[in-house]
Formats: sequence, C-alpha cells, structure tokens
Amino acid sequence: MHTKTDMFFRGIGTVLWEKWVDFKFEWKKITASALVSPLLYMIALGWGLGSASSVTDRPYIDFLVPGILALTTMNASFAAVGQPLNVQRLFEHSFDHIIISPTPMPAYIVGQMLGGALRGMYCGLLILLLSLPFGATMHLSPGFFLVMLLNGLTFGGLGVLAAILATNHADITRFSTYTILPMTFLCNTFFPLDRVPKWIQVLISILPLTHASGSLRAIAYGGRASWLNIAVLAAYAAASMLAANVVIVRRKNL
Amino acid sequence: MIEIRHVSKTYPKAAEKALDDVSLTIPTGEFFGLLGPNGAGKTTLIGILSTLLLPTEGEILIDGQVLTRKRGDLKRKLALITQHNSLRNDMNLDEIMELQGRLYAMDREEIRSRSQELLAFGGLAEHRKKTVRMLSGGMKRKLMLCRALLTKPEILYLDEPTTGLDPASRRQIWDLLRGLNRDGLTILLTTHYIDEAQSLCRNVALMNKGRIARLSTPQELIRELGEVAVDAFRDGRTESAYFPDREAALRYTAGLTGNFSVRTTTLEDVFLAVAGRGLEAK
Repeated sequence: MHTKTDMFFRGIGTVLWEKWVDFKFEWKKITASALVSPLLYMIALGWGLGSASSVTDRPYIDFLVPGILALTTMNASFAAVGQPLNVQRLFEHSFDHIIISPTPMPAYIVGQMLGGALRGMYCGLLILLLSLPFGATMHLSPGFFLVMLLNGLTFGGLGVLAAILATNHADITRFSTYTILPMTFLCNTFFPLDRVPKWIQVLISILPLTHASGSLRAIAYGGRASWLNIAVLAAYAAASMLAANVVIVRRKNL
Repeated sequence: MIEIRHVSKTYPKAAEKALDDVSLTIPTGEFFGLLGPNGAGKTTLIGILSTLLLPTEGEILIDGQVLTRKRGDLKRKLALITQHNSLRNDMNLDEIMELQGRLYAMDREEIRSRSQELLAFGGLAEHRKKTVRMLSGGMKRKLMLCRALLTKPEILYLDEPTTGLDPASRRQIWDLLRGLNRDGLTILLTTHYIDEAQSLCRNVALMNKGRIARLSTPQELIRELGEVAVDAFRDGRTESAYFPDREAALRYTAGLTGNFSVRTTTLEDVFLAVAGRGLEAK
C-alpha cells in the first residue's frame, strides 16, 4: 500500500512523464513555434523601432529581451497545459481516466503546472540563445531561472483552470484573448510602466506577468528581484493550483 | 459489493432528472446488466459509480465505504471502459498502458510484464508501437479493455463495450468477460445489445426515465412477461402478445386472422415492453 505522500510524488512524476512523452512526439513543432513570435518582436521592436532608442540609459534591446522572456515563458507554459488538457477532457475524453484513478488531484495539477513551467523554461532558454545575435547584454543568476519557473507555474496553473472551465475548444482561445494577450503587451514587457497613467499602472501592477518581467529585468540589469515580486508570483501559482483543485474535485459534471 | 443508495442526478438546465432515487445492491462477483432505452440514465449511473460524475443526491458505497473522488483506496478497486474511445490518440500502446499503470502507482517492472501479457491476451502485441490513431475501432476497444485490466480491478464498469464491433470481435470480448467474471471480477455492463445482456448477465436491471423499472434474472423477467410470444401483423404493424406456455399461445392464435408467428420470448421483448410502457406513460 502506498502512503499519501508517495502517491502525491508518484502522481507528479506520472504527469511529468506524460509531458515528456508529448514533448518527444512534437519537439520540433514545439521548438519552431516557440521561436516565431519572439523572433518577430526582436526584429520589429529590437532592431526596427527600438534600434535608435534607449530606456533608462540602456539600449532598448536590453530592456526588451527580459520582457520577451517573461511573455514567452507565460505563453509556452499556458499553451503546454491549457490546450492539451482541454483536448484530453473534451475531445479525447482521456481526462476521464485521470479523474477515476487514485492519483491525487492536487498531485496531478502540480504535475501539470511543473510540466508547463519546464516547457516555459525550455522556450525561455531558446529565447536567451536567440537574443545573442541581437546584442542584448544580461546578467544571469539562479534567481533569474527561479523567476522563470515561478512565472511558468503561475501560467501553467491558469492553463489547468482554463482547460477545466472551458465548455468547448474555442473557450481556451477566448480565455487567452482576454487574459494572456493583454498581459503580453501591457505588463512591463515592451515599455516601462511609468509611461502610462497612474491608474493604469495600478491595474497592471496587479497582474502576475508584471512581476515576472520586472524581476527578470532587475536581475538582467545586474540587480536582484524584489521579494514582493517573488511572493506575488508564488501567491498566483498557489491560488491557481487551489482554484483548479476545488473546481475539479467539487464540480459535479466535468 | 456495490451499494447505490437513493441516487438522483439532475443536470444543469435539465427539466427532468437523469436519475431519480435509484437504489441497488450488486454483490461481489456478480455479472450485472443495466438495460434501457436511450436517455434511461445508464451512462449517468456508470459515471456516478466511477466518480466521473457526482450525484445530486444519494451516495455510492464500495465494500461498505462511501465513494468520493478523494478515496484513492476505493478508486483503486474500480476500472471503467467508457462508451466512447477515451485513449490518448498520439500515444502508442505501450505508452497508454504505462500511463495507466503509473496513475495507479504500479511499479515499472509490473507494468511492463502485465502489459505484455494483456496485449497478447487482447491480440494487440504486434501493434505495441503503433499510435492509437492508427488502430481500428475494434482494436481500440480491446486496448481499452487491456488498459482497464492492467491494474487488477475488483469491479469493472463497461458502458456499451461492444458498440460498433463486428460480430467476431463482440464474441471475442464476451468470452474475455466471461473468463474474467469466472475468476471473481464483479462486472457491471450497460448495453443496447439485448442478446449480449441475456448471454452474459446473471441479473439485469431495466431502466427507464432515470428509474429502475424491473430487476431480476433475464430468465425470471422473461417468465414474468410470458415465455412464448405471438407476433401478429396488422395494418403494417407488429403486435406482440405473451403467454406462459405454447398451449395458451396456440389458443390465442386460433382467433387471429392474417399473418402471425409463434416464438420464444427474449429479453428484448421485456425491454420493449418496459420501454413501451414508459413511452405510453409519457
């Protein structure tokens, strides 16, 4: 007989194994699609519009790359969880076998979040390599990767929640349009927050990506991430995990 | 043992209950059939029994303990074969089996050896490296059966397990199920194929409009209705009448004009009689 702790960690391991199988099957497509948007942003905004400008006395490309890293981690983590889980629940119905299995649901959700976060970090590392020819200079530290991981966990968790709440496949795209897309452009990614009105700054500062991009940029500039940013990201990750668990365990008709 | 206690289920925005105060006990080792027309509530009941759905009212007990989504120890005893294909399309057969084994915390070596054994038993061993999307419908059903058996369940729920299969594959699955039941596996089966239930199940419940309308052995249900049937063809319709014996049936046919036939009553007649009464009551 397995203990609850054993079942929990085995459950996480199972989901990570499943994600690895998915990755092996589609790694070329995953890698290629992860590069397209960031590459376009770097060419259009880094070399194009931003080539002659600077932000806080640094070349714009140095400002831009941490923002792109934050949004790439967000997009990749959300997509690695939200879309497949939605398909498994509504189209393949293979999620039925997760619900009826003895694997604890919190373990399954944490596994999905970790799997999403690892996919996000993989895509983030690709962006780091891609940014080299653009002349971006950055300081990297373990804290930098911790922020990427937390950002990935947050949006992986939101991916689980979106996949469970969605009543059809289009709902995932809609969820992305209303949450992921605005954050992509607003959350301290392409421009500093002090350039927008104060009340918008307040709204934007509530969103998790603002804290990820701010932390990554602070570290990339040679400083340290603020504990507030780390705490906000961790709180978002925990909240999305708890919300997804409550929805899955209590919902009468999944 | 499975105990279904006063289970009701109402779906959101639905005018009628999908299940209405259903109570039923299924002893260990039973081969039990749930029959009923479309919308009778069979799939909903299987969903609740497997925790896929939660009841609006009532509870399910497995070996005397209340089943919830958090009871991993009870869920470990159950396996489900759903009506529709519920396999990951982009995984191969080995991966499907490994995923199932891992979800039930089985050891890698046990998963490997038991998968080999089951895939061979299902005639799928040579297709192990194919992805699910490359399999025929019959192969997918057999794979779902292999997956369900991997974890050595004590109770197997089968929701329309042979739908869409050719007659040879159906018979093959029947033989597999008979063997498993003989070895002690409790089986709860829903089916549209009445011959399937009559051939396999020791007891059946006939469901209609979310309620259990009849519950007995197939033989007893047939006996209650009348073991001999007379089909009379009038005005383009077949009207059936049932009699306890052949003599009574023949006395009845003496007064008939036009075409008629005398035959043995089947479980399908019972099913149609119950479903027909339900529709008339509506």
